[in-house]
Amino acid sequence: MKARPIRSACVLTVLAMLCACSGKGGDPSKQYGPDPYLPAPGQFLLPPMSVPKAVGWKAGETPSVPAGMHIQAMATGLMHPRIVYPLPNGDVLVVESNSPGTKPFRPKDYIQGKVKARAGAADKGGNRITLLRDANGDGTPELRTVLVDNLHSPYGVVWVAGTLYVANTDAIITFPFTPGQTKITVPGTKLTDLPAGPIDHHWTKSMVASPDGSKLYVGVGSNSNITENGMEVEEGRAAIYEVDRLTGAKRIYATGTRNPTNLAIQPGTGQLFAVVNERDEIGPDLVPDYLSSIKGGGFYGWPYSYWGQHVDERVHPQKPEMVAKAIKPDYGLSSHVAALGVTFSQGETLSPQFANGAFVGEHGSWDRDPLNGYQVIFVPFVNGKPSGAPIPVVTGFLASDKKSVRGRPVGVALDRTGALIIADDAGNAVWRVSAAVGH
Amino acid sequence: MAEPIAVTRVVRPLHPFFVGLGGALLMAALFTDFMYSSNSLMQWANFSAWLITGGLILALVSAIVLIIDFALGRGGPIRWLDFGLLAVAAVLSIVNVFIHTRDAWTSVVPSGITISAIVTILLAVAGLRGWCVTATRLAGRGEIA
Repeated sequence: MKARPIRSACVLTVLAMLCACSGKGGDPSKQYGPDPYLPAPGQFLLPPMSVPKAVGWKAGETPSVPAGMHIQAMATGLMHPRIVYPLPNGDVLVVESNSPGTKPFRPKDYIQGKVKARAGAADKGGNRITLLRDANGDGTPELRTVLVDNLHSPYGVVWVAGTLYVANTDAIITFPFTPGQTKITVPGTKLTDLPAGPIDHHWTKSMVASPDGSKLYVGVGSNSNITENGMEVEEGRAAIYEVDRLTGAKRIYATGTRNPTNLAIQPGTGQLFAVVNERDEIGPDLVPDYLSSIKGGGFYGWPYSYWGQHVDERVHPQKPEMVAKAIKPDYGLSSHVAALGVTFSQGETLSPQFANGAFVGEHGSWDRDPLNGYQVIFVPFVNGKPSGAPIPVVTGFLASDKKSVRGRPVGVALDRTGALIIADDAGNAVWRVSAAVGH
Repeated sequence: MAEPIAVTRVVRPLHPFFVGLGGALLMAALFTDFMYSSNSLMQWANFSAWLITGGLILALVSAIVLIIDFALGRGGPIRWLDFGLLAVAAVLSIVNVFIHTRDAWTSVVPSGITISAIVTILLAVAGLRGWCVTATRLAGRGEIA
């Protein structure tokens, strides 16, 4: 008799556990734009999860593009390519990289490592930059060579005035470099340190040069999902830095950007934009990742709140004064898409509908069922602001059964012919999308 | 020299050692949960996650050793109250280890520390009763023990 209340409590908790596991994500289109639908946050025993198995591309397979466009592989067999960067002479740099590796804190971290590996996110990165030369612009490089090797989890790369800047996970390294060069043999020089180990949870350091080339903007991700590694390791993280290109002097330009995985300068206005990956584990439809202009001195919420003033109760102690300051981002991309690449279009190089806006590479979700992302989209801009529903551009990274993934898009860029090039880290490939005319 | 007619001795089961060891870890998690709830330093919550994980591994070991006790005839009939206390504590701790996989504050407050407290009460009773789920068995002289 005594045990009965305890027993029913058990049954209830087990039932609650089962319910908590079955949270399905809603229609992502409700979360596009400046005012995404935000459901109430949930707390789970097991976060909603769906992880497709990385299987790679079979010979001849490619992602899909709309009619009137052509896609081809510019390179295959790379080592976890993340960023593509066209040089003024038309050569394309491919940054092959992955996490420097993190030490587990909790039992959970061991399980998460296994989940990542299944999705192809744990493959060894090349720690190098490969150069592709396609002089005749047909999309098939005549030359492929390792430009620089033995880097330390590099990500962002920028060339300004005779110098190649490489954002390793722990520092910006510079190399004297003239486009046309196919090999860098001199050792790099450190320009400035960047926040890194020993945890380095979000390890990528995205980078873009200011329009006049005098400054470098560097995206530094948070050291946790939502402060679970302790507040003290978040010092100087979840921020965008402004670095003086010549002296290496740096200051924090904007804060509260959980993981600013890529940056781009808007043509014409010179405005800095970022794609930012928001927090996980409070539901399949929370929190939308975003594309936003970044205001100097702005605070974008992390960790205290999201999408403006929506408080995250997982953060303790809370800071209402910071919540009050949080800026609402410009444009929701929907939840857990993992936007990792962004680049502005340059006129009607691909199609008239892609004349004005930004391409965004969505690496794809794990903390959501059904899956979301796994495509390159185009976000139309009107009057300098993102506006209207995104248009899928490159799809088919997921196999039709949605249980396996052939590739995952990361960095995107336009080459000198206006073709869209895409780094695919799970597929170890670089794709090139061009207008079909001429093929 | 006449010997007593019925010499008996107590046959000790092996499982209480493992139950006690695991129980201590699970009860310690209440302390580390409390520390985190009072100072918000994540390392205390990390300790809790490890203590509960360790406690559950020892719960599994205890269950295996209990079966061995029965197989070796070292345990008397099962005492359902003690078994029930420990079983409920183990089931609640399974729920609790999942709660402790959440990130930051809500991995402990309020549900995690509440379950840790309930588990500690259940285990304190089971511990004071001897960490033992089988009745004491007396073996007669010459009997295998």
